Amino acid sequence: MAHATGTVESHVQHHFKSSDQQFSSAKLGMWLFLFTEIMFFGGLFVAYIVYRAWNPELFTLAATQLDTVLGAVNTVVLIGSSLTVALAIRAAQFDKQKQIINYLLITIFLATVFLVIKYFEYTHKFDMGILPGAMYTFEGIDHPKANVFFSIYYMMTGLHGIHVVIGIGLMVWLVLKAMKGAYTSSYYTPVEITGLYWHLVDIIWIFLFPLMYLID
Amino acid sequence: MATASNGNTLKVRYFDIDENPKEHYLNAEKGLKSWLFTVDHKRIGIMYLASIVLFFAVGGLLALVLRTELLTPAENLMNAETYNRVFTVHGAVMVFLFIIPSIPAALGNFLLPIMLGAKDVAFPRLNLASFWIYSIGALFTLVSLAVNPIDTGWTFYTPYSVQTGSAVILMTFGVFIMGFSSILTGMNFIVTIHKLRAPGLTWGRLPLFCWAMYATSVIQVLATPVLAITLALLIMERTLGIGIFDPALGGDPVLYQHFFWFYSHPAVYIMIVPAFGVISELIATFSRKTIFGYWAIAMSSLAIAFIGSLVWGHHMFVSGQSELSTVVFSFLTFFVGIPTGIKIFNWLATMHKGSIDMKTPMLYAVIFLFLFTIGGVTGIMLGAISVNVHLHDTYYVVAHFHYVMMGGTVMAFLGGLHFWWPKMFGKMYSEFWGKISAAIIFVGFNLTFLPQFIMGSQGMPRRYYSYIDQFQTMHQLSTIGSYVLGVGFLIIAVYLVHSLIWGKKAPANPWGSRSLDWMTSSPPAHHNFNYTPVINNGPYDYHKPISEFTLGIAEDHEHGESVEKAKEETKA
Amino acid sequence: MSAHHAIPLKTLLSTTLALVVLTVVTIAVFYLNIPAPFDVVVALFLATFKATLVAMFFMGLYYDEKFNTVVLIFSFLFFFVFIGITLLDTLFRESSISIW
Ligand code: HEM
Ligand SMILES: [Cu+2]
Repeated sequence: MAHATGTVESHVQHHFKSSDQQFSSAKLGMWLFLFTEIMFFGGLFVAYIVYRAWNPELFTLAATQLDTVLGAVNTVVLIGSSLTVALAIRAAQFDKQKQIINYLLITIFLATVFLVIKYFEYTHKFDMGILPGAMYTFEGIDHPKANVFFSIYYMMTGLHGIHVVIGIGLMVWLVLKAMKGAYTSSYYTPVEITGLYWHLVDIIWIFLFPLMYLID
Repeated sequence: MATASNGNTLKVRYFDIDENPKEHYLNAEKGLKSWLFTVDHKRIGIMYLASIVLFFAVGGLLALVLRTELLTPAENLMNAETYNRVFTVHGAVMVFLFIIPSIPAALGNFLLPIMLGAKDVAFPRLNLASFWIYSIGALFTLVSLAVNPIDTGWTFYTPYSVQTGSAVILMTFGVFIMGFSSILTGMNFIVTIHKLRAPGLTWGRLPLFCWAMYATSVIQVLATPVLAITLALLIMERTLGIGIFDPALGGDPVLYQHFFWFYSHPAVYIMIVPAFGVISELIATFSRKTIFGYWAIAMSSLAIAFIGSLVWGHHMFVSGQSELSTVVFSFLTFFVGIPTGIKIFNWLATMHKGSIDMKTPMLYAVIFLFLFTIGGVTGIMLGAISVNVHLHDTYYVVAHFHYVMMGGTVMAFLGGLHFWWPKMFGKMYSEFWGKISAAIIFVGFNLTFLPQFIMGSQGMPRRYYSYIDQFQTMHQLSTIGSYVLGVGFLIIAVYLVHSLIWGKKAPANPWGSRSLDWMTSSPPAHHNFNYTPVINNGPYDYHKPISEFTLGIAEDHEHGESVEKAKEETKA
Repeated sequence: MSAHHAIPLKTLLSTTLALVVLTVVTIAVFYLNIPAPFDVVVALFLATFKATLVAMFFMGLYYDEKFNTVVLIFSFLFFFVFIGITLLDTLFRESSISIW
């Protein structure tokens, strides 16, 4: 897929010498951005680990309030969406315009399923008085710091959820562009980069799932 | 023939530099819009420069107000509460709005692509976005001032920052936003250095300023997200009461300090490492000598970036963190001194037997060496636990960080500003007034901050609007010093503005420097170079006379047109 | 190695399968009730393995320029620095050291 030098394709910005240089720059930029994402979530993981090390019994107690089945379903849903986004990139690499759009639409669908499940989990907890922060009124967990566990839970899953929403937004934008035929085997950088982002969202959930739902 | 970094052989042609460019980046396009929406890294750099100068003036005026309050122990201008707000705003403005973007975003943006022989940074639109994000963040902090100026200190420690009635959310949200600007700049620079070096510009030929920017960018990308999550959690703490940092709800305030300093200690290296880069350029250029220990200087920047992220707890020795971590942090802190010392000695070795030309920028470099060494050594002293317990939260700490931040970063910034002034604006400044004001600033600085070391070691605590009579002489010396400093900066402002309008036209390379930023006209062309330059010398090859010092032009398929033009113009 | 590497379909599918299987294993291990702290160790080991699969084959690090992998490794390294040194405080608040 390397390009013959000699012609400058229209998508190459003036300060790049070649399409390859532009592509690998964009990719490195995205990896650096993912680095910052890992440190960003990392802060929350630090809070999680510190509090879990302080109150192991609290985490065992509180995790019983989380629905393992729903968590597991969501894990599989996200893994599936990772596959479809990878397939969308593959479609672009083989110039299959129609498939790019279809795979992106499936990804968006799966991401929405994830959010819907998350919505049911949240509202169920809200009804029980498991609200974030000072609004916490649930009395089923016999521990003075039960509110802190759920603060951490809401912060981590909430931030992750925001990332899912942003991902959906990005992919809707990709679909709109793809419908105009913007992506071909010689230029599909936005698809590739959104894919990287989406996989990171998946990776974070891969860690969140056992850390939140599977404590005993 | 020259060999490019990828091993290809390129045909090169030699060329002369256009001394009287008719078209350059300043006049390429006209109108306010052509500035506000430009993607040209040079214009973005200049816009950052204007912004940080503005905020430096704001922060500086606040500092003078603070010093005036401290002229006597009595209440001169304001009560204790107002004093708290003023020092907080002074600190926050200076740290987040001035010093962090100062050298990287202003000078770095302008210079980095030119030094790499590139036409722009890797992501020009992201670069513009980063400027706008910075502006929006700054707007939030300004709004917070109008609403209810914050009084927590620039560190926003919980639990007070959760309890106070001042506009903590607006302020921290502003800082949160500006963090993203810093992250984007860092990302952009790392990719630019990796991917956009001109043919022949190997890693070993990078100017040391680029190495410094590289290390700085690494720290920006690494640490700033943690600040973002810290402030986000603080905002959540205030709005929802999540109880992670607030002891009243079962949280741990010391954990907040870990989060905050995990960013903010590395952040002091975001401030100083670019300054190291500037100093390397100044010292090599004005000593007319190949830099001593190129790789030692380059690698010590990276070493500082790494070790600097292991030592944050030295700000927390008396916070109640465990004794074990106190000992470990103290031990690690001493290691930061090593790469820093390596740099100082290499600069001195570069100056040794050089033919030193004491132009204004070099004067600032020497002032830097003097003041920064004091700041660094007192930092090491503060890193010793037993000494720290006595000195923590006293004026000794205040003096320490002003010696490094102002004596270090600001002096390097001034040196760099004078050094690249002709390049940026195509005008010379007044050498005479430059030296006078440098001298005034040096005297004013020491008069302001040396007494603070003394009274700090005698027990004068920081962040108080009043004090016992015993400290009055020292405080008054310090206040007078701050006025002298003010005068110094005023003179600089006057002659720089004068030079913008009436200054003598600057030649392309007024200092006889060997690095790529001086191999283009002053001011540089719209796209820096009208051809792809080929680098066949090192940036510090002072053993070659300037007449023999040449650059090549690559035969460039893709931009055939511009190459043809360049060939004609240069009549190689 | 070109940055534009199309990842084979077979690789993508088998990666997905592996991820699903590992998720099932993670849950199975949870119901085995391994005593603490080994439950966490096993769970994190499995999660890390899954994340590595995603990074290598979905994100294409296996085929990509090596420096991108370096960036990823460094991000985890700095996360470990953050948590590791913080734990030196939070785990040892109560104990005082008497080496002198
Ligand atoms: C040789 C390297 C350095 C060492 C070993 C060092 C050490 C320290 C220590 C131990 C403290 C804590 C004092 C206390 O609060 O009790 C401190 C405070 C501080 N240092 Fe440094 N430092 C160094 C360089 C720098 C540099 C380069 C900067 C900035 C450009 C800087 C900025 C600060 C600031 C702003 C504070 C005070 C923070 C606050 O509490 O408001 N330091 N330093
Ligand atoms: Cu520090």
